[in-house]
Amino acid sequence: MMLDAFLAGAHQVFAFDTLIYMLIGSVAGIVAAAIPGFTVTMAIILTLPLTFTMGPLQGVSVMLSVYVGGYTGGLISAALLGIPGTPSSVATTFDAYPMARGGEPGRALSLGVWSSFFGTVISTIVLIIAAPPLAMIAVKLGPWEYFSLIVFALTIVASLVGNSLMRGLIAGVIGLGLATIGPDPMMGQPRLTFESSVLMPGLPFLVVLIGIFAISQLMGELEDHGKGPSSDALIPDVIEFKTWAVMREVLMHPVNLVRSSLIGVFIGALPGAGGSIANLLAYDQAKRSSINPDEFGKGNPDGVIASEAGNSATAGGGLIPMIALGIPGSAVDAILMAALMVHGISVGPRLIMDNADLAYGMFVAMVVASLMMLVVCVLSMRLFLRVTDIPKQFIVPTVMICCVIGAFALNNRVTDLYLLGAIGLVGYGLKSLDYPLAPLVLGVILGPIAETNLRRALMSDADWTVFFTRPISAVLLAAALLSVIFSIRSVLKMRKKDRPATDEQNGD
Amino acid sequence: MFRKIAVAAGLLAAAITGPAQAQDYPEKPIEFIVPWGPGGGSDTLMRIVAMGLSEVTGQAVPIVNMPGVGGTVGLAEFTKRPADGYTISQIHEGLYTANKLGITELSYKNFIPVALVTSSPQYLVLSKNDNFSNLEELKAYAAANPGAVRAGVTLGGVPHLHMAMIEEALGVQFSYVGFRDTGERIRAAVGGNVDIVIGDVASASEFVKNGDLIFAGVGTEERTSEEPDVPTMAEQGYDLSMAVTRGVVLPAGTPDEIVEALDAALEKAMSLPDIRAKMTNAGSADIYLGHEAYKAYLDKLDGEVDKVVGKLQG
Repeated sequence: MMLDAFLAGAHQVFAFDTLIYMLIGSVAGIVAAAIPGFTVTMAIILTLPLTFTMGPLQGVSVMLSVYVGGYTGGLISAALLGIPGTPSSVATTFDAYPMARGGEPGRALSLGVWSSFFGTVISTIVLIIAAPPLAMIAVKLGPWEYFSLIVFALTIVASLVGNSLMRGLIAGVIGLGLATIGPDPMMGQPRLTFESSVLMPGLPFLVVLIGIFAISQLMGELEDHGKGPSSDALIPDVIEFKTWAVMREVLMHPVNLVRSSLIGVFIGALPGAGGSIANLLAYDQAKRSSINPDEFGKGNPDGVIASEAGNSATAGGGLIPMIALGIPGSAVDAILMAALMVHGISVGPRLIMDNADLAYGMFVAMVVASLMMLVVCVLSMRLFLRVTDIPKQFIVPTVMICCVIGAFALNNRVTDLYLLGAIGLVGYGLKSLDYPLAPLVLGVILGPIAETNLRRALMSDADWTVFFTRPISAVLLAAALLSVIFSIRSVLKMRKKDRPATDEQNGD
Repeated sequence: MFRKIAVAAGLLAAAITGPAQAQDYPEKPIEFIVPWGPGGGSDTLMRIVAMGLSEVTGQAVPIVNMPGVGGTVGLAEFTKRPADGYTISQIHEGLYTANKLGITELSYKNFIPVALVTSSPQYLVLSKNDNFSNLEELKAYAAANPGAVRAGVTLGGVPHLHMAMIEEALGVQFSYVGFRDTGERIRAAVGGNVDIVIGDVASASEFVKNGDLIFAGVGTEERTSEEPDVPTMAEQGYDLSMAVTRGVVLPAGTPDEIVEALDAALEKAMSLPDIRAKMTNAGSADIYLGHEAYKAYLDKLDGEVDKVVGKLQG
């Protein structure tokens, strides 16, 4: 029975036209994600009407290949330009970009591509084996667990602060503050909008991300113009990517690879969390369990592996609640479900029973999609690296235009462009003052989720001790506490180490 | 004399070109502003409507998602567009609650209703629990334990309105928990984190089949063809009508000929068998109200919303 369904699904996916469409989808996903400002979700929305005319499994397979390709594509601009191509590749910039600038752009890309591939495959395996029980856990989690999870996630700010804990915390608080502008997440009442139509809809996360990272990075490139050996191209012209050697290198970090992938799977399986959180969380955990955390942020391969395996694994993770229960794990999964519904397939807890060939076909499609992503990336890597040959005076304005178009295309609001400009200036100012930008972005991502779930929890039950009496919530809060203690200890240790060497007090 | 003839000729020309323009309509792509994000109920349904409209008119009907502040950002932008029929948009009951709660100045009166194209009947959905498994038991339990029943709604949104109508009809008190969309609410009910929610067939029926949720009543006049075993609220003694309807609108000031031409094109589009099947699959009842009927529906709804609006502000 199971094998029959599996074969029936595989038969449909391996049809020639399906494979061709999937290949196109894969390329489209990678390209869309590689351009800062264009997201995977946008690429999937563009594919949605096309799939109306395809069969249900064919349509979903094409969308899955866009999805998987998209989780990898963000790596390209993260590594080569230092700008996250999608919200899910913020942490990828931390080590992939220094590695690329350090003269190994090919290695950085290869590492990311292989980690993405293995992350997707591991997540698909977990999806096939453990979807029903994991989905049951995910759906039982209430607002208390979500809030505690977000509190835990906020503590990873300590890993992202760079040189100064104080400046990192300030950046995080600015991020949390920015997230409160606009309609409140519960009642939709305006907050801090000052009656201005620009602020009325709030600050969209993607606009903040592009403004903070892309604009400041591009301005930085302009400032550096004419200085140093890399004045013309962004990265010195050394193109070397040892595809197979790097594959071995990735597999030599099995603990990191599996841990990061599992983080991605679990975060992906939680409806509402997503690739951006998984990417940062996996990076944080890799840094903390490393024997030399100081190497992170300077081109450490572990950082690239963790961040890329983490975000790619959310693709399979997001399908867990969708296939097992008919509950979308992310915005992209919601669009997948809509595509199936239009074909008359009700996605619900009985999907595997009633449409087994479809469910198993999706598993097959995930594996095929990740293989396609791998093939496309390996074959076209030389082409991507050509980007680094383009002189700055061409690439900087081009990327800037893409950012502006992307920020507009998100909600089709002109006012978002004014916000983009303003946030870009803020980001540039903070960067010039040596404030780390990642904590700010983390605050913007997590703030609204924390607020929504805190209010929802207290609306469900006015008793706040529930946060400590529900076991999973209590465990997460304890983990958050441990994480803070761990961070304080390592900061104190660092200070002790630094003090004899330099008399200078930095005041932080 | 000549002048008079010239004026008359001008008038005549205007009279001829007026309808002629409407006959040519549409002669270029029609932009469809959907004031909600991609992937949601409005978006999916309106993409199907756009497909049908494009098939009938031979013009492209690109969807432009313009989400924000409960659908009011896109509508505000829509009112600024020329009233020439080449930008259309969509409203649903959410505009009423957003307006009455002071979130937007816009009301349905700022637009010309062209046609109501979809209606999703709304159900009162119970989570599987030990205390009640139908409407009467819910009423008894809620009456005995005021505030103990947790009701999942979108605060200040249409589900909130419907839940407030039920609360008032039963004469009981619920405590409200806010969720962003139907999917989130249904998930919370399946996970046992709320006790009752407002839902629809598309999002909840699979869980009902599986035994996780119970349909306690539907807000239509007669039982629906999708769920013939579910009693209506009226059958159970509560005359409530609960539905989310979505209609196509034009900016105020659009010439009548354009309104009529669009109404006709939509009616034709919505009767295409392929489009009808897709709409049903996406959870909409088979319904079409043209310009006049839709306008009458909206006026009637206005009165009904006014009755319970006070409950939404608490």
